[in-house]
Amino acid sequence: MIWRRFKENARVVLAAFELTVKQSFTDSFVLFGILVQPLIIAILGIWMLKERGGDYGIFVVVGSGMTGLWTNLVFMSGNSITEERWTGTLEFLVAQPTPIQWVIFGKNLASVLQSLLSMLGSYVLAALIFNLSLEMAHPFYFAISLILGVISFICFGLVIAPVFVMNPSVQRWQNSMEYPIYILCGFLFPIALLPGWTTPLSYLLSPYWAAHALHGASSGTLTFSEFALSWFMMLLFSAIYLVISQKLFRVMLRKARIDATLIGQ
Amino acid sequence: MNKILNNSRLFFHGALLSYIALFHWLRPMTYLATKVVSPLFQILFFTLLGMYATGRENAHFYIIGNAIQVAALSGIYGVTFSISGDRWEGTLAYLFGTPANRLVLFVGRAFMHVIDGMFGIVIGLTWGALLLRLDLSKTDPVALALTIFITTLSTSGMGLLLGCMSLLTRNVMFINNTVYFLLLVFAGVNIPVSSLPLWMQPLSYALPMTRGIAAARAIIAGESLKSVAPLLNSELLLGGVYIFAGYLFFRWFEYQAKRRGTLEVM
Repeated sequence: MIWRRFKENARVVLAAFELTVKQSFTDSFVLFGILVQPLIIAILGIWMLKERGGDYGIFVVVGSGMTGLWTNLVFMSGNSITEERWTGTLEFLVAQPTPIQWVIFGKNLASVLQSLLSMLGSYVLAALIFNLSLEMAHPFYFAISLILGVISFICFGLVIAPVFVMNPSVQRWQNSMEYPIYILCGFLFPIALLPGWTTPLSYLLSPYWAAHALHGASSGTLTFSEFALSWFMMLLFSAIYLVISQKLFRVMLRKARIDATLIGQ
Repeated sequence: MNKILNNSRLFFHGALLSYIALFHWLRPMTYLATKVVSPLFQILFFTLLGMYATGRENAHFYIIGNAIQVAALSGIYGVTFSISGDRWEGTLAYLFGTPANRLVLFVGRAFMHVIDGMFGIVIGLTWGALLLRLDLSKTDPVALALTIFITTLSTSGMGLLLGCMSLLTRNVMFINNTVYFLLLVFAGVNIPVSSLPLWMQPLSYALPMTRGIAAARAIIAGESLKSVAPLLNSELLLGGVYIFAGYLFFRWFEYQAKRRGTLEVM
């Protein structure tokens, strides 16, 4: 019974995944977020950090890739329910037997995995155009960090999607949500540059732990126990985000049914 | 005399109404998020990145560059949407049906955004002074105000040209976003133009803002208006070239749209 239900849900996740990928590659706004913006940030990072010297190439590749991941999470995952509402398909998604969370999970999975192209694009740019040395200190740790980072990003997306659809006033701040996370999570410079009072805020954000682990694995600056801490924090936050998202989805659907706002702008 | 009065009315009414039409759907909170808070974080991000790269003593370079570049929010996005809005909202056909002076009509679309963009730069510099200790004590305020005005005007000139392109394509956001980010690289906002590869430097000087940002940095460092006058003259001339190119494009679009009957094609 459980296996059968899992298979049915997995089929829905895959269908949502496939449709999102197809739609995304025809959407110039998404392509800008995945490829153009991170590449321009990578170019800026490479030229600016050149002054600093050292092995900055791989640091910029990881950091600019993280900016692409975050930007797309905010705009694609953040709008994953809102756009269904705008196009009038939310009613059908809510009425069908599979919980809507699985559909949104599939959409977020597609968004986050596509966003990894940001990192790949920055890698190709740094290696081929700028001829930078891009040695990975701990490829295995990097792979683990990337997988856990992707999971935590997807779970975070499951939180922001219902928050945005329930609170248009929060969504109005979408454009202002990019740079604060770039800053607080140390994507392109260490958070030690920031005032001390911001450090706890960074520790509360899973993208910080993802960036910490990925930079550490690429540059070889972390010990195993530091990696373990970052991985544990990503898993912990993923679990917390999942619990919060379950609650938010329930509240959202109940509110939408009471207010009759499953369709609307 | 009557003609001048009519054109003045057309200019100011058109400017005001297109601005209201653009922002009527925005709430004050959205304006605050987009035009006040978002620039703050852009300035903070690039200043911190710059400080990490080149040291704290160079923070002013990044603060000034990004504070001035914020004008592109109004100059590029605002102006472009004012032009493209007429097409997507279906009012362009009525505009082209009137005998109104096209140049006045066209340039009027940028007027409010120039004021808005200047306001944005002032906010950006204020953030820099309050949070990042930008030293404005040696600044000649009149020279800085003139620099801000000319830079915003030339950026809006580019916005008018891009606005015309938005009459031909649906991908207006893609073009705007790309140009906005390219300015961060090539207009001397975060990287000195002299540090760019030689073959890229002509591109920098063909963009609005490059000279305006250089002039603003010089004025804030204590230089006089006279010493930055050549930069400002060139910036003004470049803005004029963009406005003229945009106007020619606008007239060409009107001609083609009327000839082919594609005015309302989406």
